[in-house]
Amino acid sequence: MTRTQVQIIERILAAIPIMLGVVILAFLFMRMIPGDPVDIMMGEAGGVTHEEMASLRAQFDLDKSLPVQLVLYLGRLFKGDMGYSLQRARPVKEIILEAVPATVELALFSLLFALILGIPLGIASARYQNSIVDRIGMATSFLGISMPGFWLGIIGIIVFSLGLGWLPTSGRITYGMAPKSITGLMTLDALITANTGALKDALRYLALPAVTMGAGVAAVVARVTRSSMLEALKTDYVLFAKAKGVPDRTVTIKHALRNALIPTVTVVGLQVGTLLGGNMIVETIFGWPGLGRIVVDAIFSRDYPLVQAAVMVYALTFVVINLATDIFYTYLNPKMTL
Amino acid sequence: MSVNAEHVDSLKRRSLGSDTYTLDTPVPGISRRPWSGFRNISGILFKLKNHPGAIVGGFVILAYVICAVFAPYIAPHSPGEVALAKRFVPPVIGSINPLGTDQLGRDILSRIIYGARVSILVGVLTVAISMVIGVGLGLIAGYYQGSFDKIMSRFTDLLLAFPYLIFVIGAMSVLGPGFWNLILALCFKGWVEFYRLSRAEVMSQKASEYVEAARALGRTDGAIMISEILPNIIHSILVLGTLRMGNMIVMESSLSFLGLGVPPSIPAWGSMVSDGRRYMLNAWWVATLPGLALVVLVLAINLVGEGLRDVLDPRLKEN
Amino acid sequence: MGKGKDHGLSRCLTALVVLAAILVFTGLIAGSPIQASGKTLSIIVDAVADRADEAEIIATYLRAVGVEAEVRLWEWNALKDRLEAGERQMYLSDWGSAYFDPFDLVIPRLATGDRGNYSGYSNAELDHLLDKVQRLVDPNERKEAYFKAQDIIFHDAPWIFGYALNEVEAARVEITNWQPSMDSRINLHDVGITQGDTIVVAMKEDKIVTLDPAMYRDRPTETVLRNIFDGLVTRTWDGKVVPEIAESWTVPSDNTYVFNLRKDVKFHNGDPLDADDVVFTFKRIMEEGAIAGQTSPRAGLLGPLESVRKIDQYTVEFTLANPFPIFPQALVHFQIVPEGYIKEVGDSGFAAKPVGAGPFKFKEGRLDDQIVLERFEEYYGGSPEIPPIGIAPAKTAIFRMIPEATVRVAALKAGEVHIIQQLPPDLAVTLSKDKNIQIKSVEGTRVYCVELNCRRAPFDDIRVRQAMNYAVDWDVILESIYGGDAIRLACAFLPSGFGFNPDLAPYPYDPEKARTLLEEAGYSVKR
Repeated sequence: MTRTQVQIIERILAAIPIMLGVVILAFLFMRMIPGDPVDIMMGEAGGVTHEEMASLRAQFDLDKSLPVQLVLYLGRLFKGDMGYSLQRARPVKEIILEAVPATVELALFSLLFALILGIPLGIASARYQNSIVDRIGMATSFLGISMPGFWLGIIGIIVFSLGLGWLPTSGRITYGMAPKSITGLMTLDALITANTGALKDALRYLALPAVTMGAGVAAVVARVTRSSMLEALKTDYVLFAKAKGVPDRTVTIKHALRNALIPTVTVVGLQVGTLLGGNMIVETIFGWPGLGRIVVDAIFSRDYPLVQAAVMVYALTFVVINLATDIFYTYLNPKMTL
Repeated sequence: MSVNAEHVDSLKRRSLGSDTYTLDTPVPGISRRPWSGFRNISGILFKLKNHPGAIVGGFVILAYVICAVFAPYIAPHSPGEVALAKRFVPPVIGSINPLGTDQLGRDILSRIIYGARVSILVGVLTVAISMVIGVGLGLIAGYYQGSFDKIMSRFTDLLLAFPYLIFVIGAMSVLGPGFWNLILALCFKGWVEFYRLSRAEVMSQKASEYVEAARALGRTDGAIMISEILPNIIHSILVLGTLRMGNMIVMESSLSFLGLGVPPSIPAWGSMVSDGRRYMLNAWWVATLPGLALVVLVLAINLVGEGLRDVLDPRLKEN
Repeated sequence: MGKGKDHGLSRCLTALVVLAAILVFTGLIAGSPIQASGKTLSIIVDAVADRADEAEIIATYLRAVGVEAEVRLWEWNALKDRLEAGERQMYLSDWGSAYFDPFDLVIPRLATGDRGNYSGYSNAELDHLLDKVQRLVDPNERKEAYFKAQDIIFHDAPWIFGYALNEVEAARVEITNWQPSMDSRINLHDVGITQGDTIVVAMKEDKIVTLDPAMYRDRPTETVLRNIFDGLVTRTWDGKVVPEIAESWTVPSDNTYVFNLRKDVKFHNGDPLDADDVVFTFKRIMEEGAIAGQTSPRAGLLGPLESVRKIDQYTVEFTLANPFPIFPQALVHFQIVPEGYIKEVGDSGFAAKPVGAGPFKFKEGRLDDQIVLERFEEYYGGSPEIPPIGIAPAKTAIFRMIPEATVRVAALKAGEVHIIQQLPPDLAVTLSKDKNIQIKSVEGTRVYCVELNCRRAPFDDIRVRQAMNYAVDWDVILESIYGGDAIRLACAFLPSGFGFNPDLAPYPYDPEKARTLLEEAGYSVKR
């Protein structure tokens, strides 16, 4: 085994206590929040007896002491049982598995948009530093960072759905157009089944939410690419290449970009975590059936098992992506150790 | 949206190794920057003179601060003055309500002016508190390392893996509404980034000549940390701080979207945008104008941050 | 410019920034000082974000009589916990009633210690009345008891009595025979469409909780489920109970109901519906752990129901522990499920692919995305008292979850959806100008009010509570915020519910009277 491999295994082992910690933290955290899940479950109807509520509480172990509940929960978790949702009357695992593909798809497309827009913008800004291109590009990127996502989303709906009628307001796919479900990612399924109609339809639904969510990331990517490009353009080997008479364009693309992309990769890694974990508002606006909306709803209705499981999924994603970027990173720059 | 450019920058510097010029290895001539109090700050301000962007940004911030401070004298109306007879008056320059009114007939211009108070405070306070906690712990962890550092690192890993918005929603529900609780909730995790950055910077500075020298002179650990190391790492921390400030203001609007923002009697831009979004189809100005106020401020903060980076970054200084 | 001068300038700037920060800081925490002589009444008004505007206006009215009022916004469940602990003072709350009877409104809200009584109000005489009325059978006696209860509550003023918001819905003009119902149910059996054969309904919810009629307790879920399932009885849009799967029913004694079932009802899988299915449906709800180890949260809704018994293939007898005259109203909310199918596929299989006897079959869908239903071609026709009778006009029905109001309206305008729920009043004005849209509103069944914490000062004093009622001008609030689409209530009773006293006039807006009462209670006022 190479040293890198050993390090990767070490990192994976180190992730286990983190995951355990996250689970326990989520568990305690949810129980600190005031509000009784059983009471919420009963809604507003009259004629609810205390016995009825007590029996429900017992059914979900909520009548036991906190440490006992935690032990019971962890015990089941090790057996792969994430519990039963208090509000949705279904096993938590089913709910999560159903929502994850939608969230992942949206995150991927947001990222794609961010990269397609951000990297060229960053390169152009660096290449023509302090020019009008640079100024406008960077000012736009600030706009992307500082405008709340829901505002951008609603503007998008008003302009592109209502005004121009190009895109649907919300949802994930037109009824009847959905491709056969293989991965759960509509676009990918459409590609696999060579269903161009479904692909087109899915992309139309994806466009607005992906742009809304990707705008902020695009801004960050553009800014990081710009600053690292500026730095890379000043390094000795780039200067040397220039002195040797290599054309400007070649220097920019071939020599500077490869190095400049290193920090961009890291940023992208961190942003994927954000995209997956911070998308609840965009999902709400666009009625996107993803995990973010479920989590917010679950917190507000004190659906303990569901929140705990979702937090676990987020944390796992975060850990995995961090590891992946680090590995990719060593690949780009072998000098670095994990 | 979490922007982590600075953290990444420092990561990257380390990754480039010791053969390039980085903050990590002492570069001859700039290896030690001692405290110089006000002169230091004014010196920085002086150097910012050559950055037109930063100057414009600085003046914009100044204008906002003046608005915030003298709000009662500048605002044409009281921000909470409900006038149900004139709901949704569109903006007309030169009228009594130059920027229109909202769903309760309150003057939007006045609310934006008063809103500067809360929004700026949210930005400044959350960043300041996060910075103090994060840098303090980061100094200790980075300097002593050992078991404290190990525990802290695990703990911060845990916090980072916990989704931020979930954390804040939960914290707001536990604490209940109110301005100070909002600040507290935003700080709960905000400090982690500062901790990470300062810890990494301290670790790279620890082995440098000037720290060795101070140690040889018999200075205490506390003194070395505060007066020797801190001045050398404060710059990257400040830059991260300016970047975070805008994020925090936007974060307040996200919380407001979820019904957990500041009380409505205290106007804040974030809440104004989030409440006004319901009227985008019949009164666009209610949400858009406070949003623009926010964009301009964040833009200004970032311009100054960018300028600061250029001034404080020794690599760029050499060129 | 010399270097020294520059340094001076920047030093000035720095000092200015620091000074400014201090000023902003002190300005914010000091707030606006209120000149007070004597004891000023100082109140925090708690509300959820949806009613923030209303809370702000109420606070403005209170300030006008010299009360120092400030609004706080909460997440409801976090607030509720504190309300139950009796920690807060004044809070905006609301409560929906489904039974068209004070049973699920006034009792949970105002009986001592009941679960919706956040004001901590307690009146022995009222408790006695509410306890008695539950066992009364004679409508006149019940009415009399409820009238008396209204007088007591009105006088004691545990709330600032509020209003009932109308149910405002909008539809495209292509939609025909559409009528919003008071219980906010959307019944697509009768609704037609002139263009195409698919009706899309946008729901304001984020999700519905389940497709199993024994596992929910909220209205949105019921709205969808009642298009897939039918009950023994149903309700007209204005609240009258009419037969559905039951052909008729008799009440042989105060504690017994006998339902005769239709003989032509089929489930979507072809099985005929008979008494066994009805008995199974109710036993599944009443027995603990009957649904894959889980207990239905719906048992309490059945009131004192003790047992369900099959008499013959098409007759079922319900026995109650004590008289419960609104039992038919309660039964509207229980959908009959197929015994054979559930035993075959199991409870989770049933929840994943439900089979009912309603006008639409479940086709596919996700609870937080969209739920697609398809017309059931062998439908028996529905309640004979709600025409048209027969299979549904629309071939496909889709319920889509669009939680954001603006987006819902945009989707309606764009023609993506055909019917939307809960139209925001300010958008109703905009939408009414659109030729492609029709708007209808109907009296709602949700009571909105401001609760006062009767357990603690200042609201343990009845004069202060009454003063609050005089101090707020609801007519102005309802007109401006809700565009007049609301009904002012004098008390905690709904006009649509049983036993409402139409002659009881609400507290008038009389700030002078409010000031007098506050002064009597020992507080300073502002004139």
